Amino acid sequence: MVVINNTGVQSSQELSIERQIEKIVEDNDEPKWVTDLRYRGMRAFQSAPQTDPVIADPLEFLSDQKETPAEGIESLDDLPEETKSLLDELGINEMEQRAIAGLSIQDGTGMIDSSFRDKWEKKGVVMAPMNEALKRYPEARERFMKLYDSGASQLAAYHTAVWNGGIFLWVKEGVKEEIPLHLFFLIQQEALTQAPHIVILAEPESEIKLIEGCTSPILPKHSLHLDMTEAYIEEGAKLDLTVLQNWPEYVHTRPTQRVKVARDARFSVTSVGLGPGKSNITDPHYWVEQGGRVDVNSIILGRKDSYVDLGGVIHLEGENSTGINNSKAVIMDKSEVITRGKIDAAASGTKGHISCDGLIMDDGSSMETYPGLSSRVEDAELSHEAAIGEIKSEELFYLMSRGLDEEEATQLIVQGFVEPVIEDLPEEYLSEIRKIIELALKGEK
Amino acid sequence: MLELKNLGVKKDGTAILQNLNFIAGESDFHVVMGPNGSGKSTLARTLAGHPEYTDYEGSIEFKNRDLSDLNPDERLIEGLMMGFQYPPRIKGVNIKRFLTKVLEKVDGAEGPETKEEKIKSATGELGFSEDLLSRNINDGLSGGERKRLELLQARLIEPEVLILDEPDSGVDVDSLELISDQINHLHDQGTTIILITHYGSLLEEIDLEDARVHLFKDGNIVTSGKADLAGEVDEKGFNQIYEECGCN
Repeated sequence: MVVINNTGVQSSQELSIERQIEKIVEDNDEPKWVTDLRYRGMRAFQSAPQTDPVIADPLEFLSDQKETPAEGIESLDDLPEETKSLLDELGINEMEQRAIAGLSIQDGTGMIDSSFRDKWEKKGVVMAPMNEALKRYPEARERFMKLYDSGASQLAAYHTAVWNGGIFLWVKEGVKEEIPLHLFFLIQQEALTQAPHIVILAEPESEIKLIEGCTSPILPKHSLHLDMTEAYIEEGAKLDLTVLQNWPEYVHTRPTQRVKVARDARFSVTSVGLGPGKSNITDPHYWVEQGGRVDVNSIILGRKDSYVDLGGVIHLEGENSTGINNSKAVIMDKSEVITRGKIDAAASGTKGHISCDGLIMDDGSSMETYPGLSSRVEDAELSHEAAIGEIKSEELFYLMSRGLDEEEATQLIVQGFVEPVIEDLPEEYLSEIRKIIELALKGEK
Repeated sequence: MLELKNLGVKKDGTAILQNLNFIAGESDFHVVMGPNGSGKSTLARTLAGHPEYTDYEGSIEFKNRDLSDLNPDERLIEGLMMGFQYPPRIKGVNIKRFLTKVLEKVDGAEGPETKEEKIKSATGELGFSEDLLSRNINDGLSGGERKRLELLQARLIEPEVLILDEPDSGVDVDSLELISDQINHLHDQGTTIILITHYGSLLEEIDLEDARVHLFKDGNIVTSGKADLAGEVDEKGFNQIYEECGCN
């Protein structure tokens, strides 16, 4: 674990949160109640506990919200060259061109929007920059910053005060869309806080898939990605969220999710941390009503001395609700991974399962896992399994005895280890993930 | 083709193989029999290059080349393959992807048959349906299926020397027939077979006309003979034969 060196970024230290807010308000025409919320976050910051083991002072990360709308983006060809090659790298370009799916990109703290929006809106899927949504849609206003407590931690308070960018995704009742929507976060400036706020509303019986990609084309130092997603999955609705993170080694990521899953609704999130950055700490909360189900799947590739701590609680509040938490961690280069997901059963007939597997690739890397189960009813079925180990020498010998060299055999075993978590992803992503694992293990040797 | 001279192998300080001499020529058929713990599997794993057994005494030469500094994969590429007694399960690694990768390694230029065609036809030969290809390596396969998958790979790889470590243990009757057919087929194609087994039942299905049978005891070959020696083992058991030959 590395604690940030306070001497690294001087200018950000001089900026108080208040001045950051003033600048944001000056740059943006936002409603007064939104600004008031920011000041409430600022005040909460003074008394909020500092719970983050890595980021001693969030103020190091300067927030600078500036809209940089790129007009007239009709297709991927209109994107900046840098962005395009990045999407190529992520294997998105090809998929995009074939599917002509929705695409929204957040570059630094500004939104790049696209005309894909109109096409989706006709289908009943509204996707709007958060700022705009708060002015236009009461549906966004009613749900904005309702699912979390800004005084819970300094980072939560800081996010409340300086959030910038993000989207409002609104899927109208009964709308079912097979083609996934894409949302990308790119981070390109040094000492930058990127704090997008996302609100998702999936109305009853709607179905949608959202793919979030996070990456950085350059190596910014000490950048902080502090996003917050609040999702409302209404009765019988279904949301599949896939988060692909490929951050460089200097970025700290603190993704936060708060999700309410209504009766018979389903929420499934698969996050793949191929480059988890310097540190990645999450504490998501999911509240599940009667007959609802939450699936939380994570793949972590701990590389380059990263620190990853996956927490979170699935609250099974309604009868016969289900919560599944699956994680697979591949840990190398002196990385440290902790998983401490928890399932709390508060209603009868609930089912929950936690499974954590860790594969440690070298000495000096470490993993801790603390699966947590708690029940306040007599007939909940909760279970967990956890295993930490290294690659089995017999498996390696077997593959090598069939002609694969040590590197190829190792790659195949590691890919196989993570495969069960990602097998439902589109083929394009699977091959991309395999490729990144291959590259990571190559760097290993 | 394969020559072991004074081979000695230790595990945790205990000698498993001692002073073993053995020669296998082109298209030979050798049967290695012996009680549990006599060192048969260690012999197979040493030949395949298992990292625990790379520090051996004596020499192993394959096609007049010393094998000591070759990794398991390099030995396979050279033409030496071992079929495992206990093929491990490898989670999440799809059989078709794996076999395709294996063929990439051993195949030269693509012939008239594509890799996919080769894999499909070998799958049928070994009595599998194509469902097998969507499964993971040895995952949920029965004992007999695992051993058939070993022979399937041998069929694709077409090694010059194939060492089979108890391809008949834990195998049902139907699988036994498919396995022996395949061993016969590979031998007919010119592959040198070194077959390690406990029992005679597999040998009944195999064309042993020119076979040499070797009996193992305490890490060495104590006696060798023609095919009828295998029958004798079934009749009398190892101990009596060792007594008769003064091998004890």
